[in-house]
Amino acid sequence: MHGVSRAATGWIGPRRALRLREPAVGYLFVAPAVVLLIAVLVYPALTTLRLSVTLPGGQLGVQHYGQLLSDPLFWQVVRQTAAFVVASVSAHLLLGLGAALAVAGTVPARGLFRVVALLPWVVPDVVAGIVWKWILNPLYGVLNDLLMAGRLVDQPLEWLTHPSLAPLSLILANVWRGFPFVMVILLAGLQSIPQDLYEAASLDGAGSWARFRFVTLPGLRKVLVVALALDTIWEVRRFGLVQAMTGGGPGTLTEVLSTQVFKQYFQFYRFEYASAMAVAMTVLLLAVSLPYVRMIMQEE
Amino acid sequence: MRRSGGRLAAVAVVAALVWTLAPAIRAGEVVTLRFSNWHLVETVWGRSLREAIRIFESRNPGIRIVPEPISYGEKEARYQAECAARRMPDVVKLHNFSLAMFFELGCAADLTPFVQKEGADFLKSWYEFPIKSLTYKGRLMAMPGDYMSMVLIYNRELFRAAGLDPNRPPRTWEEFRDYARRLTRDTDGDGRVDQWGFSMPASKNPGLPLRILPMVWSFGADFLTPDGRRSAMNTPEFREAFRFIVELATVDRVTPPGVTTFGPQDVRIQMAHRRIAMKIGSGWTYPIVNAINPQLNAAEVLEAAPVPAGRRRITAAWLSGWIMSPHTAHPEAAWRFIKFLTSKETEKKFFEDNRVISSRKDVNLLPLVKMDKFSRVIVQELQHARLEPQLKEWPEIFDAFATALQEAITGAKPWERALLDAHTRVEGILARR
Repeated sequence: MHGVSRAATGWIGPRRALRLREPAVGYLFVAPAVVLLIAVLVYPALTTLRLSVTLPGGQLGVQHYGQLLSDPLFWQVVRQTAAFVVASVSAHLLLGLGAALAVAGTVPARGLFRVVALLPWVVPDVVAGIVWKWILNPLYGVLNDLLMAGRLVDQPLEWLTHPSLAPLSLILANVWRGFPFVMVILLAGLQSIPQDLYEAASLDGAGSWARFRFVTLPGLRKVLVVALALDTIWEVRRFGLVQAMTGGGPGTLTEVLSTQVFKQYFQFYRFEYASAMAVAMTVLLLAVSLPYVRMIMQEE
Repeated sequence: MRRSGGRLAAVAVVAALVWTLAPAIRAGEVVTLRFSNWHLVETVWGRSLREAIRIFESRNPGIRIVPEPISYGEKEARYQAECAARRMPDVVKLHNFSLAMFFELGCAADLTPFVQKEGADFLKSWYEFPIKSLTYKGRLMAMPGDYMSMVLIYNRELFRAAGLDPNRPPRTWEEFRDYARRLTRDTDGDGRVDQWGFSMPASKNPGLPLRILPMVWSFGADFLTPDGRRSAMNTPEFREAFRFIVELATVDRVTPPGVTTFGPQDVRIQMAHRRIAMKIGSGWTYPIVNAINPQLNAAEVLEAAPVPAGRRRITAAWLSGWIMSPHTAHPEAAWRFIKFLTSKETEKKFFEDNRVISSRKDVNLLPLVKMDKFSRVIVQELQHARLEPQLKEWPEIFDAFATALQEAITGAKPWERALLDAHTRVEGILARR
């Protein structure tokens, strides 16, 4: 090629050759991800669906769904899951918004505050459950010690075994663990609101509540929907924390859908019934995530 | 350009070959076996097992054992998933109630051909009962491991401090209740109870049946009718047993608060720190409690006695089995390892380290087992011991009971209502069969 131009030899060069095969190369690049998705999402989902309609003789039928709908424990667990999710997500939003506003503003040691506020979120689910179980332990727990030292109670409270306190304790631990996620999302949203809007509102005489009401909240609308949808999906699936703290007890008072699916499948060996329950849970999750999906599609 | 591309490809091919073949070249003839056991996560047992592995490897240089620790509660779920993916560890340990399910699922290799090769007398060293229990459809599917009866473990110092004779443990359930009341005390005079007579792991955990069954059975009750087709949880005997257990926590208040969240280890911690005086346990109790708090001087302070008797003298038996994966690539090596784990020498070591009783008669006849104060009682009580029902539905049936127990203890339901609901649920479970 010395002294002769590449064009003169008819050599089209690597870039052009690549451009010619672009569609094929594109498919090649996405193929590993597609194969992975099929292996870890599509295949298990189809297997679960098939199991859920497999009857003892190997025939297909929807009897397991019939059993599910007539099982009072299933409906009790659906109600409990709904209560757990609504309470957790609401508290996550309130606390997350408060924390996001705090760390976005001019608080002292803002960097440190951000790191500390994020800590609960980086703690693995099961570890958080075990830590809270110890905090709430009626014999050795630090919370009862503090309450008794402050003379707020005269007997240790049975946080995880009292029928009313156990669900509340679970929600309390879950709120602590989950609010930083909402905080991070809302913080990103807050930082994307143009400063000019606040300045204009101030010039118009808007106070801090009015600025929050008419600038911050409208500016956060989309991010709030995203946070709400994602948090709801995650809380419906919450497993490790519940399993580690109460195991669904006392009795079945803190059972949620994910712990029930686990029990039916791995402890009671009811593979088909557990699969039907998992499919029902997926349908529920799809319904919950529809507004989020619709919003994303509208944006696109 | 093309030449350098070719060179690059050649280098890549060589590198890939080296990377692929290197482990095989390094390993030579060494066979690697994956070995999973929940005891690997425990201080005392874990050490003992790792020592045994080292001994085995030194005698079998061609076999390398890779320990895979797992939690007690997680093992069935993980092994099932691994079995379905044909990735189950080569050798695992399970206890009797889940063994039946693994046999049914085809998650255990048939050990009969290996045993037959060892000769006609090979199994004669074991008790007949464990061998029979691990035989499924005429084939031996697991080799017996520990075989123990559940007994009453108590703290003689706390007995003495409460004015009770430490050499005379309770023999009946009424006596037991009376002892437990006297052992529930405020020991530091601050007006609050800080020592309880009895504790049990009443959370939903696989250790609960072993502690509950002796009580239920000794009241003359059972979970199922003799033909196994109906629930027997509505019989007067069962109601009496259930009420007795519930009232230990609700009326007598001889159990620590939060009993429905306790697992077996919580109860051991309570015993190690003198917070409770009595518990139901077995051979493993003393070494674990001793490891938690060596200052307790568990060997001296703790005692074992038969579980109190009601209408009949009966207790629950613990039996574990060593399983070979049906998908192992090295069945001969896996069998050699199982044979080593169940040999007289290794079982003796396990006794010395962990105080677990072997299912081998020749080990239990050794003077060190016969002279040990815990083992003597545990071996003696084996004649009154029964295994948990080996039914596929047993975990779900017992879950119905545990749910009722928790509901009654925490006051979520009156005990009669909780038990009736459990009975109805068990009837539903059995109707599906």
